[in-house]
Amino acid sequence: MSELSVNHLLGIKYLNKKDIQLIFETADHFKEVINRPIKKVPSLRDITIANLFFENSTRTKLSFELAEKRLSADVINFSASQSSVKKGETLIDTVNNILSMKVDMVVMRHPNPGAGVFLSQHVDASIINAGDGAHEHPTQALLDSYSIRERLGEVGGKNVVIVGDILHSRVALSNIYALQLQGANVMVCGPKTLLPKYIKDLGVTVETDLRKALNWCDVANMLRVQNERMDISYFPSTREYTQQYGVNKALLNSLDKDITIMHPGPINRGVEITSDVADSDQAIILDQVQNGVAIRMAVIYLLASKIKH
Amino acid sequence: MNVLVKSATIVDPKSDFHNQTVDILIEKGTISQISKRIQNPKNYKEIRRDNLHVSQGWFDSSVSFGEPGYEERETIANGLDTAAKSGFTAVAVNANTNPVIDSYADISFLKSKAEKHAVNLYPIGALTKHSDGTDLAELFDMKTAGAVAFYDYQHPIANPNLMKLALQYASNFKGLVCSFPQESKISGLGVMNENVTSTSLGLKGNPALAEELQVARDLFILEYTEGKLHIPTISTAKSVELIRAAKQKKLDVSCSVAIHNLIYTDEHLKTFNTNFKVLPPLRTQKDIDALISGVKDGTIDMVTSDHNPIDIEDKKIEFDYAKYGTIGLESAFGALNSIFTIKKTVELLTNGRERYAMDTTPIAVGNSANLSMFNPNSTYTFTKDHMFSRSKNAMFEGHNLKGNVYGIIANNQLVIQ
Repeated sequence: MSELSVNHLLGIKYLNKKDIQLIFETADHFKEVINRPIKKVPSLRDITIANLFFENSTRTKLSFELAEKRLSADVINFSASQSSVKKGETLIDTVNNILSMKVDMVVMRHPNPGAGVFLSQHVDASIINAGDGAHEHPTQALLDSYSIRERLGEVGGKNVVIVGDILHSRVALSNIYALQLQGANVMVCGPKTLLPKYIKDLGVTVETDLRKALNWCDVANMLRVQNERMDISYFPSTREYTQQYGVNKALLNSLDKDITIMHPGPINRGVEITSDVADSDQAIILDQVQNGVAIRMAVIYLLASKIKH
Repeated sequence: MNVLVKSATIVDPKSDFHNQTVDILIEKGTISQISKRIQNPKNYKEIRRDNLHVSQGWFDSSVSFGEPGYEERETIANGLDTAAKSGFTAVAVNANTNPVIDSYADISFLKSKAEKHAVNLYPIGALTKHSDGTDLAELFDMKTAGAVAFYDYQHPIANPNLMKLALQYASNFKGLVCSFPQESKISGLGVMNENVTSTSLGLKGNPALAEELQVARDLFILEYTEGKLHIPTISTAKSVELIRAAKQKKLDVSCSVAIHNLIYTDEHLKTFNTNFKVLPPLRTQKDIDALISGVKDGTIDMVTSDHNPIDIEDKKIEFDYAKYGTIGLESAFGALNSIFTIKKTVELLTNGRERYAMDTTPIAVGNSANLSMFNPNSTYTFTKDHMFSRSKNAMFEGHNLKGNVYGIIANNQLVIQ
């Protein structure tokens, strides 16, 4: 039976192409499960999973929790606001305390890049990174690619542009790695102040003109501007940002072809995309959300099967 | 202390015995005889070691010991022991303490703590009160107490007018002003070199530009003030270029580079190992090549371990939260000797004293013995067993080094492993 090459999901950069294929094939199965009347399988009845969220999250946390429950795992939730972290406990101590209650797997969101990697080096549990600072958000990238595959048949050979705040985005980085592994061509587009200076060295093309980027692509993944991560204004006003990097229906209609619009959420309607785009047939934003559960079930299932071995 | 050093190869271009293998007789701390073979009728302690080499005592221009205030990182006593076992007979100690060393009394405290040690401790006083970059500390008073330079350790002087005043004021008494090369607004929240590696790790980048802007600014101010400036721990290719040009203009500037910045690139941060989190950050191979050529042509006056013990509580945490710094005294010789010839290594380890107005003592009869003893040819993997520091945050842990230290003879004392 095939298995993942890794014991943790810390980032897409630690995976290989076969891992992604395996996750997608497993997700296909679980997608069928969650569309049944009884949306649950007993696969992980002997597994306990802790969801540790040191940073706010709505959809990712819900999606993980739902995925865990659909697999019949026992689930405990922890968020920093209620925890001893505020009293000065270290991350390793916090997690080891939880693990001593016989937890098998940790799903963690954390504001610091590398927090998941750090944890995997010091604690004895399988770690799933649910977002670590501006580093990676691997399950998001997996569900994004999975959604492209669902809409366009395959990811290889497709032109995908990631638009917006690349500098502060873990979604962008994980997507770049995931798309490249599957043979897609990746472009990033945004104001220069929001593009890392050395992003080109990751093998992506850089474009500052949104119209050119949209004309080139098959898929546009529109990112949110992460104001909460900015220590200074990277552009003069939201209005001016939208003028240059917002997608509206008129712009989409003026392109030579129908492109697919994605967004990892939460959407700032009227900023990076207008409502008529978000709600159009070209957008697969809600498909992404649904696929998120299937992808997370697949990841958890595959990592749990390694624990059992 | 009386000791007979047997069969030692002297590495000291200023000595008549340079490159010769000789016996050295030391009586009451002074070299009384050097020759091919010396008898030992008084039955002094003899030092015989495999492939023993000796040079003038080594000096490190930038070490931190924590005391007072950060004794959990390191104490002066253990710090000096570490220096001795690592081959150093003199260290300039940064005001990297709490409270900051910024007064006559503070300098006197450091001096008194080190009084009876084999290793000479040369205190560096803070340039500004509390190192907060606002007002000059009592520089003259500290110099009177024994401060050899003035430096807000790793705190850039943001205000250019303050830097101008510091250079002007200190020139009254030939004080050496140090300026940490970093423009804070540009470095921002960066925790590693800005490059493709920082991008791929999602870590905020500290661009080379931040260093180069500050170096350029300080050189302009130096030219205007005609003061005496030292720029500690440069790390980029363009900094080397800027300082090379300034020296051609005969400005009174010196600079150093941290040994780890000559060896490691930012790619070593790929596993988020906090021992590689240092300031200035590890840069690129292009920078390393330029720094090494700067060392070779004398643009860079001295190398330093930039020894900075940090306790495990501040290192075994998330990367963003971890403090900057690596210990470096213990690995300094083995690391340098891995990339330079032994002659160059010794030259680098003995450079810098003159800049800090310290005496040098060539290996000659009649001079007090100030010697480092080592074997330049051994190879080994550097592990925790080689660390003497209270904190074990060593970037070089697990890496292969060439050359090990036996000990020192200085201040009429012998420290030997």
